[in-house]
This record gives sequence, C-alpha cells and structure tokens, in this order.
Amino acid sequence: MADNPSFRRHPQPFSIDLVRWLPSSATSPSGRLLAAAVHDPSAASSDIHILSLADPSSPLASLPLPSRATALRCSPSALAAATSSGSLHLAPSSSFDAGAAVAVSGGAGFHVGPVRGLDFGGEEWVTAGEDGRIHVVGGGGDGRVVARRVWDGKGMTGYEAAKWASPAEFATGGAGCGVQWWDRRKGDAAVAQCSGIWGRGLVTGMVHSIDIHPSRKHICVVGGSSGTIFAWDLRWPQQPIPLSGIGLTTAQPLCESEVWEVLFDTYTQSSDILSSTSARLLPVMMCSEDGILAVVEQDERPLELLAESCAINSFDIDPQNPSDVVCALEWESIGILSRGRDAMAEE
Amino acid sequence: MPGMPTEAGGAIVPFSGEAGQGAPPPPSVRHIRHGVTPPIFRVFVSWSSGNLLQVACLRQPSPEDGGGAEEVSGSVVEVNLGGGGSGRAEVEEKIDEAEMRRIEYGSLPAFALLQSRKNALAEAAAMSRVPALPEQAEWWQYVLEYSKTVGNLLGNPDSPPAFTIEDPKTILKVGEKPTSLRAAWELLEMFYVDKQLQGWLPERLVDWLADFDSLLSKKESTVYLKLSNFQKRLMKLQIVEDDPDYWNGLSAALSVGWLDIVVNMLRFHGSYQLDQMDNRETENGLVEAVAVLVSTMPRMRPDLPSGKLGQCCKTRPDFIKAWERWRGQVNKLECSAFWIQCGHQKTRDGLKNLLHIMMGNVKELTAATSHWLELFASHFLYIRPFTVGFEGMHHLAQKCIQLKPSSGTSGLTDLLIGILSENSEVVLAECTNNFGPWFVTHAMELLTADNDYADMMLHEERPNFGGISIEELHRIVYAQVLCSHSLTWQIAPTYLSSCLNQGLGLLEILLLKQPIQDNRLVLKTLEICRLYELEDVSTKIMKIAGIYHWKHGRKGAGVYWFQQAHDKVRLDRIAQQLFEHIGKSVTDDSFKQWEGLLELLGSDIGSAGGLEFLHRYRDFKRSLQQAREGRTGEAARQTVEFLIQLMRNPSTPQRFWLPLLHDAVDLLNCKPNPLLNVAETTLLLNKLQELSLAKLHPGFSSNHLPSQALNSVRLSLASNLARAILEE
Repeated sequence: MADNPSFRRHPQPFSIDLVRWLPSSATSPSGRLLAAAVHDPSAASSDIHILSLADPSSPLASLPLPSRATALRCSPSALAAATSSGSLHLAPSSSFDAGAAVAVSGGAGFHVGPVRGLDFGGEEWVTAGEDGRIHVVGGGGDGRVVARRVWDGKGMTGYEAAKWASPAEFATGGAGCGVQWWDRRKGDAAVAQCSGIWGRGLVTGMVHSIDIHPSRKHICVVGGSSGTIFAWDLRWPQQPIPLSGIGLTTAQPLCESEVWEVLFDTYTQSSDILSSTSARLLPVMMCSEDGILAVVEQDERPLELLAESCAINSFDIDPQNPSDVVCALEWESIGILSRGRDAMAEE
Repeated sequence: MPGMPTEAGGAIVPFSGEAGQGAPPPPSVRHIRHGVTPPIFRVFVSWSSGNLLQVACLRQPSPEDGGGAEEVSGSVVEVNLGGGGSGRAEVEEKIDEAEMRRIEYGSLPAFALLQSRKNALAEAAAMSRVPALPEQAEWWQYVLEYSKTVGNLLGNPDSPPAFTIEDPKTILKVGEKPTSLRAAWELLEMFYVDKQLQGWLPERLVDWLADFDSLLSKKESTVYLKLSNFQKRLMKLQIVEDDPDYWNGLSAALSVGWLDIVVNMLRFHGSYQLDQMDNRETENGLVEAVAVLVSTMPRMRPDLPSGKLGQCCKTRPDFIKAWERWRGQVNKLECSAFWIQCGHQKTRDGLKNLLHIMMGNVKELTAATSHWLELFASHFLYIRPFTVGFEGMHHLAQKCIQLKPSSGTSGLTDLLIGILSENSEVVLAECTNNFGPWFVTHAMELLTADNDYADMMLHEERPNFGGISIEELHRIVYAQVLCSHSLTWQIAPTYLSSCLNQGLGLLEILLLKQPIQDNRLVLKTLEICRLYELEDVSTKIMKIAGIYHWKHGRKGAGVYWFQQAHDKVRLDRIAQQLFEHIGKSVTDDSFKQWEGLLELLGSDIGSAGGLEFLHRYRDFKRSLQQAREGRTGEAARQTVEFLIQLMRNPSTPQRFWLPLLHDAVDLLNCKPNPLLNVAETTLLLNKLQELSLAKLHPGFSSNHLPSQALNSVRLSLASNLARAILEE
C-alpha cells in the first residue's frame, strides 16, 4: 500500500499543517491549485501557500499569517484561515494577493486562542474556538467583514470543529462536550446535544472533525480521539451510530489514535448502491495520527488507502475530481493520491 | 543562573577565553534587542525547547519609577541558537537543514524495521538455543536492504537527468550532485555489508570513484576537475588535437577507467571531420583503433550498467583469457608500422600514451592521475586486477599516498584508509568527525553487519560512559539532535527506545518537556506515550495540561484533562471551588453558564469525583424550574425524586442540604396531597437534625440563606409529615 504508484509525496522545507483543494476555474492558467498552511519553526513564520498541482515544490502565492494556522477552508469566492492566536483571514480566490486579504484579529472582541472550527455555509462563515466562543462572520456590505457572537461558553467548553448543515443550522464539537446542534432560527443556544460514544472505557473524548453531507443534512459524521468515528442522526439523537473505534464495533479497529479529519467520500460507491435505503450511511474517509488514510462504511470492512510511517494531519477530497485526495503528512510533505479506475478494480 | 551585567555598552556578560589553552576559538557574539533601558539589574538565562535560549533582562524596581508606565521593567527574549555553523567538517558541502530533515525522516522506517528484525532474531535464537546459522547468513542481506533504502535517500548518482537533450560535446554528464554523505555510505556498504560483490571489490571502487571523484578535493587537481576545465574550453577550441589538455584529459580519464568518456572524447579528434578524412586516413584509423581497444577492455565484474564500456567477465579464467587477448592486441597496435605514417605528432604521442596506460605502465599511470585515490584505482584497472583482501589494498594505498601525497585530507579518504587498515575505531571516529550524528547512528548497523570485533566494540558497556555502550551513546547524541528541533522531536523516541540503559529515562524527560499549550500537540505526545506504554508519563502530561488550561480560564479543557488523567484530587478541589460559586448564587439564573461544564461531566460520573453532585443538582434545578412554571404534578413529583436522590447521596456536600430543602419548600407546601411519603420525610428530617448538630462543629461553613430558612423548612417538613401520615 505504501508504494502505491498513484501516491506521490512532495517534500517541503517546512511543516505542512493543513491542505485543501482550491476550487479550480477554467480560466486559471496554472491548472489545479492547492492551498497549504505551512509553518517554519526556524524562521518562526506561518503562511498560507498556494501551490499548483503540477509542481507543488514552489508556491505561486503566499499569504502571511500572524501565527500557526489551525483551520483552513475554501468557499467558491474566498479562502479562509483561522490561527492559533484567534484571528481569521479571508483572501478572495480571484487574487491571493496579501494586500487583498481581510482579517478579523484575535482578542477579546473575537477569539482568544486557537480557532479550529471553521466552515462556510453559503452566506456566512462560522468560527468555533477553544475559548468556547462561536461567531458568525459575514460581509458588512462595504467590503468589510463583520463578526457576530453567537455564543460565549466562557471557557466552560472548548470547540474543535464546526460544520454548517444549512444556512441556518450548524454543528460543533469539542473536548469532552461531544457534538452540539445549533439552529439560528431558534435562538442563540444549542438545540440538541450528543455526548458521543468513545472506546477504551473513556467517558468522554475529543471531537476533531465533523462533516455533514449536503444531501442528508440531519446526519453528522464525527471523528475524534481513540480512533472513534461515529454518526449522529438528529432524528435519533440518543443513539449515535458507531463506525469505527476501539471496542465500538466488532471488527478490528482501523486505528487507535486520534482521527484528525473525516469527510464524506463521494468517490467510493456504496457497496449496495442499488438497494440503498436512506438509512444507510454514505462512505466516510478519515485520516489519523498513526498514518492511516482509509474509507469506512457502516457494517463494511474499512478500505485502507494509505498506511504512512508518520501522522496524516489533514486531507481533502477534490470536490470537482473526487478521485483525487491531497493530504498533509507530519514529515514535512504533501501527499497526492489519485484513485484511478484501475486502482479501484484491484480491490 | 543570574549574572551581573557590565556597566558599559550593551554587553551583558564579558567573556574571556581560557588563556594559554592553545588558541580558543573566538566566542560568537549575539546581539539581543531586549528593549529594557540600562542599567540592567539581573539577567536570567535558561533553555527553552530545542535550540531556543530564553534570556530575561530585569531592571531594578525603584520606587521613583512608580508612575513611569512607559519604562519597561523587564523583558524575556528568545534567542535561536540554531542555524550557526555546526561541527561538520569542511568536506561536507552544505546540505541544507530541510534536506537533512528529509533524510532523517526517511531513514527512520528502515532503522525501525532493522531493529525489529534484530530483536526478532535474538528472540528466536534465545528460544531455540540453537546457534542460528542460517539466519546469521541472511543477516547481512537484511542490512543490505536497509543500506540500500537509506542510501537512496542520500541522492542517487545513477539517476539519469530528466529528459535533457544532450549536447554531443558534453564530456561529463550532469546528474544529481553527489554528496559526501552518500559517498561515505557507499564505501561502508561496499566493504562491510555487500558480501555478494566482495569478489569484485576493485571494480566497485573504480565505480565509486567515477561517481564521487568530484568530492575528493576542492583545491587540488583531480581527473574530474581536469575534464570539467577542459569542457569549459572545448567550445572555443578549433583543433582539439593540438591542445595538450585534450590529451591530458584523455589519459586521465582512461587511467581511472572512464572508458565511455575516453571513446566519446576520441571522436572529437579532427581526423573524423568529413573534409579531412582523405588526407588523414591513417591517423583516423589509429584513433579509431585505440577507441575500439578502449571500448573492449575486459573487466572483471558481474555486469556493466548501460552506457558503460568494456567487456564483462564474470569468472577469473574468462577474464584471464580475455585480458591476454586484449593485451596482445594493444601490444600489436603499439608495434604497428602505421605510426610512422601518422603525420600529426601530438596525435601520435597522445595515442601512444593511451596505449601505455592500457599496458599498465606505472610511470604513465602516475603521470596521468592527480589524486592518490585515482592512482589507486588505476592500479586495480591496469596492473593488479586481482587485488583482494584489506591488507593488499592497504599496502597499495600506502604506496599511492607516497607517490602522490595530498596536502589536505578529506573525510572520505581518511575513512577509506581507516576501512583498509581494518581499524573499526578509526572508521567510527572518522564518521563521527566528518559526517555528523545522523550518519554515525545509522552507519553503525553497517559496521556490525558481519564484523564481530566492531560488534563487540560498539556493544560493550563502558563504565567511563556511565555504563552505556558506544552504540547507545551515539544513538542518544543523535536523539538529542532530533529533540532540538520542533519538527523532528517526534522521531527521537524511536532511537531512544532502542537504547536499553538510558533511553527510556531520556524519553520520559523528552515527553514531559513538550509544550502543552496546544491540545493537538498534547495529543501527539500522548500518542507516543501510548505507543511506548508510558501510562504514568501520559497521566502526568494530562495533569500538566489540565492545570495550564484551568489557570488560563479554559475551565472546560482543564476538567477534560483532569478527567482523562483520573485525577480525583484535583477534580474534587475544582468541585469545592464550584460549590463555593454556586453556593453564593444558588437562586441565580447565572447557573446557566455552568451548563456547558456540567455537560462536559457527562452522565456517567465515575471519574468526576465530587462533581457528580453538580450534575444531579443541575437536574434538580431544571426540574424545579419546570415544576414552578408548569405546576404539573408530574414535574413536581420528579423534582422531589431528585431531591431525595440528592439527600441520600453521600457525595452531596452538607452545606447544600439546607439550600436544597429551602428550594423545595413551596413544593412541599403547595399541594393538598403530600409529595413525600413518611419514610422520605423522615429521611429529610433526619438530615435536618444532623445539620443542626453539625452547626456546632467549628469547621461548619454557613450559607447565605435568610435566618428563618431553617424554621420554614422544618415547618413545611413537619406539615408534610403530618399529611403523609394521614394519607397512609
């Protein structure tokens, strides 16, 4: 698996914390683009680099950040990055010029400390920080950005992930507090709550990532500590569905360490696509601290795509070419995996 | 350690080198911008993580300055000591740090695999107690596999340059730049590991020299330097065969066996040009004859890579036969009558010189080569193709050094001499001095692949090293280098865990020193603890992280880590703090802000200590709220049940008994039929009695309820009891 010919590693001279595909436009002269959050401890600098898929060795553009990036997301019109000092930076995708970027600086008025929950919901960005604050950030109409506070947990809770389900609803997750569901139409408090399920006899764990499929907005898939992946269906909020984790499913757990990110995998076809009922969960891709990139499916054996010697800190599936996956490896490199038809036929 | 600063200038501590101890290198001075106006009262210096040094500069606090807000009274500056010239020798061309880290990352899986194989073999041998000879025979093959994997990380000189159209006038192919790390690695692999190619060692050395000749010397002339200088002039030359450098280059290339280059260069000869063919026919014939002889030179080796010339002979008899035939042809050409007809003097001399080299003429070989190692290789090619054994080679090397003494030594040649003299200590010392801790740590596996003496030398525990072996010492040194960088510290545990004596202790220190500010980094550290089953360390780290977050106001994160660490003591103390807070605002709606924290505690509260109470208390308060709003019998009944649960539970602090009862007073009073039965009411009354007794105890903490609270509770309980008795 490690010597998969369709997987290429591109060493970089600094730490790659996060990677995302940028929405590619036909007019782009440099082809398909990637965004990577990089950190260079020797120069004490953190940047967002725009890289071309054809040659990821040198950045096409660079956007400096005040501290290490903790979240990175793309919308059709902008690239957003949140940092460990609590700031949010938005760069229009038309030009990744550092001058065109707008920022909400961290501090008492916004977030204090790392912001790991960041997502674009069609109109606004949501940010959820480890300080327990949740903000909705949108345009002020005159090119400025305006952040409105939805909730201030005053440090009683800390959020690690956020994901929109619809323009009015979003989910958050964090350390020990499981997953919350927020509905902006029903006031500024969480409307539903799930403490999650954790293996290894742990009462609580940490949620690292949440994904919601646009076609099934009532289901969150959640990845967190101890290799735990579960789905939370709002229709049965008391019964989270285990997908992977120690002691959660009968099968050998896929991984026992932190699951850093989860995403619904639109490329892997569900095995019983014809008979699929709406109750069955769609396949989910995950990456973990022990170097696993895999696709898990309810009641199926997981499909391991990569087993690296180092952690995979972040990955992204290209929404326009879902066969292609980019991942950030702990050992200062970017990995690009193309799942061709041949590769799938072998399985 | 505090030090007193000097008064003058910006210098903080004057440095004086040790006088008389030879010539100490001048200390490197770093200027620190601390922004504190002098006089500086105290300076504190301490190590931070990695190469960072924290320097704190403080002013004397003086009462007159009291109002001066602009005056900075002290500052902490971080100084990065990395990036300076490390102890690498001058032969090491700068491998930049990122490239070195790539090598460090890449070599880890190979190293770990080899260690696990070693352990598995040792275990198997211990189990069966049979000398595991078949495995022993295979061991060097495992090491060879490891060596190839690591070697490939160091750059691959064989890799063809990517899709460039080659100029026919290119003499030296521009491939990947060779590195001395790779060169040294190949030397060790060649001599210590690869048993298969042991019989072809001379030819392997010739190949090695072809790859790394450019590294031998920066200042002195080498064959590579001669050819690359000639290459630069080649474009401007009209008639190449008139240039002495052309013939010098040819003889030099031939003497070290670069046959393809020789044949290529011979084709530059003017007689090949179409307009001159007619009048230089004989001359051209001679050039071509030499080119053919060069390209058919017999070589004793298993195979020839594509593009290399010569005829390959696998066995000694084959080689001897071919060699005699070829030498005969060379002799025949040398004595040929055609030379007289060759009009061009320089061509005649040049070609004859090449023939003499091929005939193994020591004088010509010595003249053609520049470096002793080149002369050494030429001896293998033309004089002693059957040289075997370290002793013979070492003897020959000594002779070559005498003939061509080189002023500057390079790490590579010293290493080679060390290998040939079969002195493992020298080899190890050369590796340490010239190629750095990474190289030594990984190369020790090559040294011990099939060498019992080196094995013993490296593994013997030495009291002067604190009871550790040389191998462990080098691994620890390398691990320290890895620890000093925030991106590579995560791979240090693999090396530390392979150190049996001190590794685990150092690993624990390393893990405990990792920053705990960032939850993700803490999780990465904990993952390493999990892999090495260091549960105590992980519990400690969780507690440290918990205290950090608690202190910085992230109470939720604090409680989370304490819970993970099963730290009952701290959770209880936190519970006391919360009780204090809630005790004050018991009727307040601000209870809501504790919601999140209570959610964190979850429903299964085994590990939460006294916080269990808070969870139940929250349920009681919620239910009470509903009961008051809705006034439904169901909610009221539920509330009373919660109340009884709370009062029964031993973890409910005594000071909450009265407030709880007081909260429930209107519930107890409002209904016509009582919510509590006799037994329940009696329980509550007993608790109340206990409370009255406890009031006399000196440690009793009073609450903030109105003074008549006790009486109203007593009254309502009494009336409830009365009604309950009537009911029954």
